[in-house]
Amino acid sequence: MPDQAPAVRERIRALLVDMHGADSFVSAVPDAVSLREAGVSSTSLVSLLVAMEDAFGFEWQDDVRPEALRSISSLAQHVVAVRG
Amino acid sequence: MSAGETLERLDLSYHEDAPRIRTREGVELYCETRGEGPAITTLNNFFMTTPTWRVFTDELDHNHRIVSYDLCGHGESTHPAQYPTWEDHAADVAGLLDALEIEQTYLLSTSISTVLAREVALRYPDRVKGIILAGPALGPKGMRRHRQIQRAWLLTLENHGMAALYSHLYPEVFAADMNEELGTPGFLGLRESFLAISTAEELHNGLSLALQGETSPELLAQIEAPTLVVIGDDDILLSTTGARELAEKFPNGSYEIMPRAGHLPFLDDSSGFQAIVAKFIDGVESNA
Repeated sequence: MPDQAPAVRERIRALLVDMHGADSFVSAVPDAVSLREAGVSSTSLVSLLVAMEDAFGFEWQDDVRPEALRSISSLAQHVVAVRG
Repeated sequence: MSAGETLERLDLSYHEDAPRIRTREGVELYCETRGEGPAITTLNNFFMTTPTWRVFTDELDHNHRIVSYDLCGHGESTHPAQYPTWEDHAADVAGLLDALEIEQTYLLSTSISTVLAREVALRYPDRVKGIILAGPALGPKGMRRHRQIQRAWLLTLENHGMAALYSHLYPEVFAADMNEELGTPGFLGLRESFLAISTAEELHNGLSLALQGETSPELLAQIEAPTLVVIGDDDILLSTTGARELAEKFPNGSYEIMPRAGHLPFLDDSSGFQAIVAKFIDGVESNA
């Protein structure tokens, strides 16, 4: 099975750009950098999580560890894992 | 305004140009003031910082002077080697009022900081014009249940860390309606805010202090300032009957119940909460 993570990361970044605009900082945030430290607010994160549910066809669970929400890379890893 | 709409406007950022006000030897407090009119000083529970108050006081500031500050040992204020006592925290409020040349203020307190409001009113009665106790950690017969909950939170923090503490307290603090409205994305997003606002050390110090001090409800009879108890009817830490009985412990106490709100009723209905506070202050001012 091909590695899905790059495409998922790209899609997550596109969702962030949709929310913040193409000229915003999110278009250049490295995949592994903390979104919080890069300036993504908690409110934006909530919007991103909702958008990810629609985009990838899954639902978040309350027991997701904070580390999974840290960066574009960790979010993508979570998506790949839950999709099997 | 729903909880979700309010939280969408939650801004946790500090203002670089906000003053640091010296209140005691070696202690400077981050402080923000907005608006004109009777002063309202917000008292943070140990899970809040100054910026969080903006969205919950954005209507009150039309006719009141809002004073918000970070407690000593929290946020952008001085972190002394020895964490403050309740007496120190109360002295900070008096020092803050002195520095801002505010003779009297209303105290807007929430959860654990209702204990601080009590301490300020007992130690500096001339500085307190009125008190709002939102989701009090005070009880009409004592504080055993609150202490047990605070001790459980502290144990969770010590043994399992901040994310586990958040999971522990979330269903105890937030109302069922808000929980359903925000869903899992809201739960996870608020957890990011929770983890960003405080450090484990700050919460450990605050929760440890919460387990100290007087618990007798008879102390409340000594507080002459008009006092308003505000609770949600989904506050599992104090019943609506308990709120009425608590208000009756104060010589000039009253109470308001907010439907479907939880332990922090301003989260569930920010506009409704601010209207209740404004009405209370208007009443006090008109009788002055």
